[in-house]
Amino acid sequence: MKRNLRVLQRMIAAEVAQQSIYRGAWVIFMLANICTPIISLLIWRTALANGARLPVDQRYITTYFVLLGFATMATSSWMAGFLANDIRLGKLSSWMIRPASLLIGFVANNLSEKFLKLFALVPMIGLVWWIFRDSMNVPAGAGRWALFFVTLALGAILVFTIDILIAAFAFWMDDVSALVQARVIIGSVLSGSVVPLALMPEWSRGFIDYQPYRYTVSFPVEIVAGNLSGSELLTGLGVQLGYVVAVGLLARVVWAAGIRAYSAVGA
Amino acid sequence: MRYLRLWRRFFAQAVVRETHYRAHFLTTLLVGLVQLGLGIVPTLLLFGFTEEVHGWSRAEVIALVGVYQVITGLMATFIAPNLNRMTSYLTEGELDAVLLRPVSSQFYLTFRWINVAELSNVASGIIVLAFGLVQSGLTPSIGQVLQSIVLATCGLVLLTAVWSAMVYLAFWLQSVGPIGVVYLNLVEAGRYPLTFFPVPVRSFLTFVFPVAFATTYPVQALSGSLGWGSVALGIGLSAIAVLLIRLLWQRGLRTYASASS
Repeated sequence: MKRNLRVLQRMIAAEVAQQSIYRGAWVIFMLANICTPIISLLIWRTALANGARLPVDQRYITTYFVLLGFATMATSSWMAGFLANDIRLGKLSSWMIRPASLLIGFVANNLSEKFLKLFALVPMIGLVWWIFRDSMNVPAGAGRWALFFVTLALGAILVFTIDILIAAFAFWMDDVSALVQARVIIGSVLSGSVVPLALMPEWSRGFIDYQPYRYTVSFPVEIVAGNLSGSELLTGLGVQLGYVVAVGLLARVVWAAGIRAYSAVGA
Repeated sequence: MRYLRLWRRFFAQAVVRETHYRAHFLTTLLVGLVQLGLGIVPTLLLFGFTEEVHGWSRAEVIALVGVYQVITGLMATFIAPNLNRMTSYLTEGELDAVLLRPVSSQFYLTFRWINVAELSNVASGIIVLAFGLVQSGLTPSIGQVLQSIVLATCGLVLLTAVWSAMVYLAFWLQSVGPIGVVYLNLVEAGRYPLTFFPVPVRSFLTFVFPVAFATTYPVQALSGSLGWGSVALGIGLSAIAVLLIRLLWQRGLRTYASASS
């Protein structure tokens, strides 16, 4: 464990050095990242101003969409396709003989890219926040913000393990790109990245509130934007922790079975 | 005329290519349908809370989503496969081989590759448009249909010009892969009528990133609330955009110093 952490630290440093060459690209990527939330924000504000009777107010909508870009970036994972390729092409073998966990390279890549993206994204979010400062919900206590970051971290772990799970199918299937694409499309709606889950129709409530994707993006943002009561917060946190543990265990079992089934190409 | 003949050859070749990859056609169709369905979700939810927004009914916005799907489908078929290659044209030095050909290099770079499978999105867009029109009870006259088609064509020309200008930055920046992502995210604004945005954003979406000509104006023309003045404006802007993009290409070409020599 301790050695893994030390290796991880070194790999992150190396990745940061490598990726910072493309700093211009990160700025442009983050610009693209906040386009969609801003378009949605403007649309829903217009609807509200035009007399639409939404179950949430303008402050909720504004805070939600301003923070959304940050939450989707912080909890994103893009490794499923890459990991599946490594499995299919036998590149996994060179990782297996190293004295550290197989997946540590992917963890390092994930963390270092997010670290660099922060520098581009935070000023942009700050600017949008400033523009809409009059209708932002800012929780008084530091507690909500602390919870925001804790649940973001848990959400990031959840997304990452879902990705491991999907990539692990490559041990048995030739092409998982359709699975990856399905995950992205389903996730974008159910995680609240397209429309706030609070605006989903009443009949879908029970399902929407307890499906795992809510805990990848929407839940952390709801903590800041909304007025979740104390008990709702606790249940949410419990459900999120439950999903992290459950998906984590599942991913571990599937991954272990996959490694046993793995027959390195070219060996 | 020669260029039209050449383009017909490109198209025929693309159709033959496509028949080799039938699974690709099927996945493009499926992904396109799912994306169309998801793209309409915010609109449906929005109109679950209100009857109309700034004079637009649900059916009219659905018609607009159809137009959006047709336009983005056409861009993905005829333009995107080319402009997405810009970085590799420049950094791999493939542009050398293009410059040697006896055709306009800009024409070749903008129209050479065609992704036939994306035409399925144009078809699904036409179905959504027809559905929206029937639902809204609009019966456009021939003149209005003509206006609408001219405006949509102007929209296509303008979007192509803006996207081209964005990727021509590759002459100065080397890699423009991420710029395509910015374009794709900005174009999403075309899913909604122009009046859904605050006034400064409206001017941006009309003159700087002119997605309004591609979706809002054609639908307004169909509903008869647009005069020939807007059509003239669209044609004028398109002509200016094409002129500017020709100039930018020539400027860029002068800085090109081939990758191999």
